[in-house]
Amino acid sequence: MTAVETTDAAVPVRNSSPAPRRAVAGGARRRRGSAFDRLLPYLLLAPAVIGILWLIGFPVVSVVVTSFRKLDLGELVRGQIVWVGLDNYTKVLSDPRFWEITIRTVVFTAAVVATSVVVGLAIALLMRQLSTPIRILLQICMLLAWAMPIIASTTVYQWIFDQQYGILNKILVKLGFDFAGYSWFSTGTATLSVIGLLIVWQAIPFLAFSLYAGVIGVPADLYEAAGIDGATAWQTFRAVTWPELKPLLMMVTFLSLLWDFKVFTQIWVFKEGGPSGGSTTLPVLQYLEGISQSHFGVAAAVSVLMVVILTLLTVSYLRKLLQTQEGKL
Amino acid sequence: MNAKKVSANVVAVLIAAFFAFPTYWMVTTALKPKKDLLSSDFDLIPSSVTNSNFVTAWTKPGFLQSLGNSLLVSLSAVVAALVIGLLAALALSRMRFRGRKGFVMLMLVAQMAPFEALLIPMFLMMRDLGLYEQLSSLVLIYFAVTLPFCAWTLRGFVNGIPIELEEAAMVDGCGRWGAFRRVTLPLLGPGLVATSVFAFITAWNEFLFAKVMVRAEDKETLPVWLSGFQSAFGTDWGGAMAASALFTVPVLVFFLIVQRKMVTGVTAGAVKG
Repeated sequence: MTAVETTDAAVPVRNSSPAPRRAVAGGARRRRGSAFDRLLPYLLLAPAVIGILWLIGFPVVSVVVTSFRKLDLGELVRGQIVWVGLDNYTKVLSDPRFWEITIRTVVFTAAVVATSVVVGLAIALLMRQLSTPIRILLQICMLLAWAMPIIASTTVYQWIFDQQYGILNKILVKLGFDFAGYSWFSTGTATLSVIGLLIVWQAIPFLAFSLYAGVIGVPADLYEAAGIDGATAWQTFRAVTWPELKPLLMMVTFLSLLWDFKVFTQIWVFKEGGPSGGSTTLPVLQYLEGISQSHFGVAAAVSVLMVVILTLLTVSYLRKLLQTQEGKL
Repeated sequence: MNAKKVSANVVAVLIAAFFAFPTYWMVTTALKPKKDLLSSDFDLIPSSVTNSNFVTAWTKPGFLQSLGNSLLVSLSAVVAALVIGLLAALALSRMRFRGRKGFVMLMLVAQMAPFEALLIPMFLMMRDLGLYEQLSSLVLIYFAVTLPFCAWTLRGFVNGIPIELEEAAMVDGCGRWGAFRRVTLPLLGPGLVATSVFAFITAWNEFLFAKVMVRAEDKETLPVWLSGFQSAFGTDWGGAMAASALFTVPVLVFFLIVQRKMVTGVTAGAVKG
């Protein structure tokens, strides 16, 4: 999970030891630079830092190290360490299936992110036009989608899209289309489309809510000015809304990329990457290689490549984000 | 209302229906009697209602067990992440010390760590620690996933509380601990609730690690149990929907409590330009 910055409200971060006057407090009166005071921040941070280094830092190093080892079930059981250099990478990168899966993953992520951001923005803009009861209705309905646990929504979608008794086919038949017994999962692309719809459906509420918060934050006099100048709706959007929303829009696009690239649950639960591997993405490949087939070294190489690709996709924004955050400190 | 406004409202109602439909369908399916489900009748509105699917789901072997496992794992991980994250947040927000910047960056970068890509080393590590097939492996992993988020978000909430209030309490004779407990902690309440709920939902939803780390049926978490519903329920969609609904309720309740607070929280620091 990711939250990039919370309300850094008006109060700047300041020194917190303002020479406390605590003559009454039980123990010895501590002066401003006592050893305890100097150590205290480190003591408070220690559990978190140890936790992060142990449970995140170490695995990060370990995944890189493992990707240079031959580590199948045999080596694992014997506790053997076999270095194979770049063999795992050569093996993965020379497999045409890997490139197929990579392209599929990138296209899928791009489609899902683009659709959800564009529709989320459209809904955010629409919400400004609505009468209050309708807006609240829309917000409650989006909240229902947002809050549904992923496995629950995946199960519901499977039922809606069920070949025989699914309500979608029934509705389409009712409308006069010949969809009786139509299978929505006959090819990988079709399967991924349904999964994409599920992900978009569940991603839009967060995007719409955050972008709506941005939309209502745009100063009203800017719109008034645009209205006086006789701007059309599109011109107003281009000249007023867009520049004000752009930072927020980039942020939510970045977060969506981080989230949607790594999707595993929905894809796995629907068809386990099938039919015949047609909906397999990189996270599924990693699972299949590593957990199903116990090729831990190869799977680790896939993991590393996954992170490399994700970094390439987000690098320009990532750099800006880190710089800005560092500047703020 | 002019024509434009009316059409905007109409479109909004259609969109609302699109978002609400799966929830509606989950609940009505769960309420339908079994014989109505596997029929080709057009049944958008249920003709009769029963609670038998909920009874089926509730009494299905493994449901209560996995519900308990999910609660245990999620709650332990979140409580640990919240307490340890709060300590770190206080240091990062309220104190000045050498290396503070570096620690803040560590939290920021750590919460962007793509955990799914750490599946293999996590698996190997838990195996080495002898925690493979133990629920405690999941507690550790969910703790790691939620900790940087908790620390980072809580730091934002602490920053939002004027330090003058603590100083005033100290002038009035509170110690540092007293000022924290009597002034900062109560003001931090809503932030703590919001952060913990979001961390809880992350853990509650998690599937990949839950599937990999524990395979024994009696240690499954609810998402894993529900994902295998087709073996558990066959084509009993009513039971599956009832189970999904039961899985959704706690999250929905929490979510309604804190939604407003967090939307602004997650994105307030968008990068300009």
